[in-house]
Order: sequence, then structure tokens, then C-alpha cells
Amino acid sequence: VADVLKFVVKRILLLLPILLGVVTVTFLLMYVIPGDPVLALVGERYDEETLDDLREELGLDKPLALQYVEYLGRLARFDLGTSFLTRRPVSEAILERFPRTLTLALSAMAIAVVFGTLIGLLAAWGRYPRLGRACMLFTLAGVSIPVFWLGLLLIHLFAIKLSVLPPSGYGGGSLRYLILPAVTLSLSSMATVARVTRSGVIEAFGEDYVRTARAKGLAELVVLGKHVLRNALVPVVTIVGADFGSYLSGSVLTESIFGWPGLGRFIVQGILRRDFPVIQGAVLFMAVTFVLVNLMVDISYGFIDPRIRLGGKGR
Amino acid sequence: MKRVSTALITCLSLMLQPSCSVVEESPYIRLALQTEPATLDPAYSIDYSSGMISSLVHSNLVRYTPEGKLAPDLARNWEISQDGRTYTFHLAPARFSCGRKVEALDVLFSFERLLDPETISPRWWVLGTLLGAGTFHESGERPLPGIETPDDSTVILRLERPASHFLGLLAMPAAGIVCRTDVSALGVGYGRSPCGSGPWRLAEWREAEEIVLVRNERFVGRKPASEGLSFRIIPETMTRIAEFEVGNLDLLEVPRAELDLWRSAGPPLLETEELRIVYIGLNNTRAPFDDVRVRRALNMAIDVETIIAHVLFGGAVKANGVIPTALRESPHPADLYPYDPGRAMELLAEAGYPNGFEMEIWQRENPEGGRILESVQAYLGRVGVGVKLVTREWSAFKQAIERGTPDAFYLDWFADYPDAENFLSPLFHSSNRGGGGNRSGYVNGSVDSLLDEAALCADTAERWELYRRVEETVYGDAPWIFLWFPARYEIVSPRLQGYRIPVIFNGQRFLDVSF
Repeated sequence: VADVLKFVVKRILLLLPILLGVVTVTFLLMYVIPGDPVLALVGERYDEETLDDLREELGLDKPLALQYVEYLGRLARFDLGTSFLTRRPVSEAILERFPRTLTLALSAMAIAVVFGTLIGLLAAWGRYPRLGRACMLFTLAGVSIPVFWLGLLLIHLFAIKLSVLPPSGYGGGSLRYLILPAVTLSLSSMATVARVTRSGVIEAFGEDYVRTARAKGLAELVVLGKHVLRNALVPVVTIVGADFGSYLSGSVLTESIFGWPGLGRFIVQGILRRDFPVIQGAVLFMAVTFVLVNLMVDISYGFIDPRIRLGGKGR
Repeated sequence: MKRVSTALITCLSLMLQPSCSVVEESPYIRLALQTEPATLDPAYSIDYSSGMISSLVHSNLVRYTPEGKLAPDLARNWEISQDGRTYTFHLAPARFSCGRKVEALDVLFSFERLLDPETISPRWWVLGTLLGAGTFHESGERPLPGIETPDDSTVILRLERPASHFLGLLAMPAAGIVCRTDVSALGVGYGRSPCGSGPWRLAEWREAEEIVLVRNERFVGRKPASEGLSFRIIPETMTRIAEFEVGNLDLLEVPRAELDLWRSAGPPLLETEELRIVYIGLNNTRAPFDDVRVRRALNMAIDVETIIAHVLFGGAVKANGVIPTALRESPHPADLYPYDPGRAMELLAEAGYPNGFEMEIWQRENPEGGRILESVQAYLGRVGVGVKLVTREWSAFKQAIERGTPDAFYLDWFADYPDAENFLSPLFHSSNRGGGGNRSGYVNGSVDSLLDEAALCADTAERWELYRRVEETVYGDAPWIFLWFPARYEIVSPRLQGYRIPVIFNGQRFLDVSF
């Protein structure tokens, strides 16, 4: 436990330089990409003077270095600033929207892991070769189908044709509204999980300990669950962990299709309208989440496979 | 194990039961917005959604009916002085949704606030013609000489010089009357909890989800026929269509690509020519576009009718001139630029470009625009003009055309208020070059003086004659490649009665729309 703690503290300390890098890069990117944020605030008909006044009000007239220092100062006080466009504190909007994106991402992840593992197992099992091939075909489709098309297809099928699920919206967090977007978001990852599980299981089938387990006369299910799957799951955790970040950011399309009021749409809006505080705040927030998730993934290895030691030196 | 699966199946079947319908019953008129309003504060409402919803919540002195006619709003009636410089408005008794009585001082407050340099409203120009508005916008020193409030229910507005389109400006969202106690108390927060004297009141705003307006029971006019309006924010077109198909929306704007589908089946399609012109602006300050022969040649090289028929599915009218049909007192000018690639090549040769030239056309990211410009590119290629298409997203695109970077740009212009003036002064008066709206850098002294004359002209027929002459000149000078006036298509649910597409975007207040 002490080892784990030391590891966690070390990683959290390492977070700081990473985040400083993220902050600096996003800050500079804002000023490198074309497009003037004040132009997004004035509509189609305006005068130069208004642009200057707005620049002054938003602090965009100051030298870049000064803006950067002031920005860091605000960050140190956990102040992400106010949206240029809506005049609403960015942190408020992020806290409102993040839980929804998180719900979507976690549900999608759960679906991907549960169904992905099952499909992978079926594909590897070899008792029903046709079923196995069908599973592999499914995984191939899963990684190839564009999210956008899949989303619309599901809406068409479940909302319009079968009338069993609502086409879009948040519905105050009701489960019925969550199903379609979560499935849409999970599919490609589900397919990846299935493929990785399959190869892991096939590999494990050839291992000595599985042969031993079978030789002991254990039931096939026990062999699968206790010996095969447990070993095959390590790479799955890596994949899901690595994918989790992209669930959070990759939910942008899914959120748009299903009108899901999450963080993804917030960022896209911010980017389209050059709303600097929104982009900077949301990117920073995403970066922190991403790093934390990776940390958790690293820790979880130890629980699944005690041979993996955290912090380098084995005993 | 078996029990678990039974429970699971039961759960699933309960959840998926068709009887728990996907249609959300609602006493409100259910509408969809593609983009969320940034604010409902009239001083900062610059986009379509903000302006439209802000106009439902706030009253102006005057407003437009769905048919595009000027009508009294807060002002019961008004008088215009002989010289056209003094407007006297008599206010009807009215209350804000918060309960306070609307006083002349609220009008004064709202107008001064719009012009105040502290406010930094991008729409201060809406009241820029008021006497002393320019100075006030610099200094913020009260009183503003252009406004006088002799008593609680009278507002006198004085203009720097007569402006025949002034009432149209007063009907714009920016000139909405705000509750002065609420604005003072809420500051920037006003944009999210506005208090106006319009027919509707903001009941709920769930960001990125839905905006709900309910009937403002304190509204003095005839109250809206329905209880409320719900605006769902649904960014994707296909999703909006799906929501309409399952019956969750009462109104849907039909994209042109889907026209045939909706024409053949289902409820009747509403159609109207928008107050909008689509064009390719040419950079008139730069060779070869400073030569009128080149500009005319480009107009004649493109078969606009064919593009309308095949790329826009017939959903537009070729623009001969610049003033949309609904704002005209006389027919459109005769087509000066029929498709004639032979003549176009002759003109190019006369101008010294027998072998054509290379040019860039800039556009904002937009799939339809992309298809249109690819056709344009092909047509221009046939007369020897090599076109490179440059796509930028909106804010970068806007920055580039403000700086005059591109040779040409694909753009459109929406009416702020339904008046021919709004399609001429901003777009072609030399004083409006750049951010004012004249982005092609067009300068013609006679156009300027005709427009100045029209602004002083109170007589409608005379004024129209001046506008007609401006249009004729501009059309002949061809500062743009004139494309079309697009049509707008909407479809309503069977239960919705009394809706019509408004001529101007904030003209439909849903007063007579009901189930």
C-alpha cells in the first residue's frame, strides 16, 4: 500500500509540469490560429471602434506575455474566466456539463467492456465456428462504421420505426435517453475490446496453466472465468483506459447527433466562436481528467495482475 | 442466474414497451433551434436565435407583423413631424413580466444603455441616427439630446437628419425595451434572466437543451393563444427531422435536399422567399475585378438557373438585382446577365484577359456552399478563369473578408428589417465599406447621393423610385456575381393552427398560433 501511495503522489506531482505544458500550448494556439474572437461578438454590421472597445474589455489588447501571466494568475486561483459570448463563468458551465459527458462515457465504457468481452470470448471459443466468424465480422463492422451514420441509423430504427426510444435529448438524465447515445459511443471501442479479448483468450488457451486447470477436471466455465479471462483482461484494461480519454473528447459527435448537453458540444461551440476562455478552460479540464484516468488505469493493473509492480523496481 | 435473466428481460421489455411512447406530450408549441442564443439581452443579441427569442420576450416601440407590416407595439400610436426629424410616441399602458409598469423612462433607459460606451453594444448603430448619438457613444455624457420624456407615457425621439427607415430600426431586437430596475440589479446576468413586456416570459433555460417561454400574463395586448413555447436546441438537421417525424416538434425547417420527400407526403409544406440574397462578392479594389467588363463577364459565365435547379432543388429565385420580391414596389429589373459563356469570353478579351486569369473564392465551411462553388468553379473554368476554392470556418473567414484578403467571397445578406434600404445602404454605400456591410469595396458617387437623398425622403413612391435607380446602377456595375434569393420551407404538425412563416425573422410572435 505504501508503494502505491508513493507512486500516486509521484504521479500527481508529475501532473503539474504536464498541465503547465497543456496550458501554454493551448494559450499559444489560440493566438496562432486565424480568426478574431471579437468578430464573433459583433454580427454582420459593426464599426472598428466597437471591435477595439471589445478587445479592451476582454483584455485582448494587452501584450501576449502579459495576457499569459494574468491567465496563469487566474488559474492559480482556480478561476477559468468568463465566456466571451455568454458572460457566464466557464467553471460553472463545465461543472454543469461534465457529469453528463461522464455519464455518457461511463455507460458507453460499461457497454463496451461487457459486450466486447462476451463477443471476444465467443469468437475465441471455437466451439461454434460460425458464431465465431459472425462475431469477428461484427467487430470489423464496429471499428469501421462512422459514429455519425450509426447514430442516425439507431435513431431511425429505435425512434422512428419501432417507437421505443426517444430520438434525442437529455430527458433530465432518464435512462431511456441515455441508451442510444451510449450504444453509439461504445460501438467502436466494443469492437476493439472484442478483438483484443479474442486474441488474449486464444493465447491463454495455449498456456500451461490452462491445460493444468483442464487436467484438474475443472468445469469449462471455471477455466474460462478464473484462468483464461483474468489473464486476457489485462490488455483490455489498457485499451479501455486509453480509450476513456477519447470517450470524453470523442463524445463530441455523439453529443451533437443526440442533442446531448455535454462537454463535447460546449468545446465545439467555443472553438467555432473563438471563445478563448471556454476553449482554454475546457481543454485544461479534459487534460486533468485524462491524466487522472491514466493514473487510475495504472493503479488498477496491480489489482488485476499482482505481478505488475508499480513504481519500477520489482521485488 | 435464471432469475437474474428473467429480471433483466422484464426490465428491458418494460423500458422498450411501445406503450411508453417516445412522444413527449406538451401543452406548449414545440420548436427547435439549431444554435443556442448567446444571450437574451437586446443590447447583445446579434445572432438569429438570440434576436428571435429576445423579440418574443421584449416589446419594442413598434414591431413587424408576420406579414412584414409595421404595427404598434408599446407605442399605441405616433406622429412624425413635417421635417421627418421628430417622432412622438404615445405609449400604451403596459407591464413588464416582473410586474413593474412600463414608463417612458424605461424607453429612455433602454436607448441610452444601447448607446452608452460602457455597454459596448455591437448594435449601437441601430440608434445611431438619434440626435447626438455619435457624441454620446463616445463620451457617455447624459442627457442624450435625441430623447425626451415629457411625461410617463410619451417619448419624443429627435433625429440628426431624417431617416425614412427609422421605424424599421426601432423594430430590431436591439431596440427592445428592458426593465431598468432588473438590468441595474442583474448586470451581465440580465441576458440569462431577461424581463421584458413582450407576450412571452422566460420560464426556464437549460443550457444546450431547452428554452421554455410561457405566456406573459401581464402582457397588455391580446394574449397568446397557447400556453407556452418550448425551443429545443438540436444542432443536427437529421436529428431535428427525426424529432419531427416521431411527433416531438410542431414546426420544422425543411432542408432543400429533403424537399421532394416532404412535398410528396405528409402535411402541407409552407414556402416563402426569404429576405436574403446570396452572392459572390468581388474585390472591386483589385485587378482584374476593378474592371466592370470582367465583373459582367463573370456574371454571364455562370448558369445560375441550372445551379438553382440542380444544386438547390429549385429552392431559390435568380437574383436580377438586389432587392427581394417582398420589398419591391415594381418588378425586378430585366436579366442583364443571362448565361452566355461566348459573350463572357468576349468581354474578358476586351478587358485584356483573352486567356482568362486565376482567382480565389473564399467561403465559410458549409456543405451546400461547397457544392454550389464547385459548380461555379466549373462554369468559370470554361471561360478560362481558374478558380481556387478556399474554405475557412466562420470567424477566420470573416476576418479575411474584413481585411480584403480574398479576390472573391461567397456570402449572403439577411434583412435586419423589411425595407429595401436595408439591401442597399449597408451593402453598396461607400461609407459602409468593410464592417458596415459593403465588403466588396464598391464605390459609386451617384449611388451614394441617391441613397442619401432617399434617406431624407418621406414619400414612399418617390423613395422607391430612388431605390429602383440605385438598384439599376448597382446591377449594371456588377460589384458582385449575383446569385439568388433563397426560399425557406417549413412544415408544421397537424395539430398546429394559424402559423405562417414570418417575412422578417422576428415578425412571428406566435400570438395567433394554437392547437
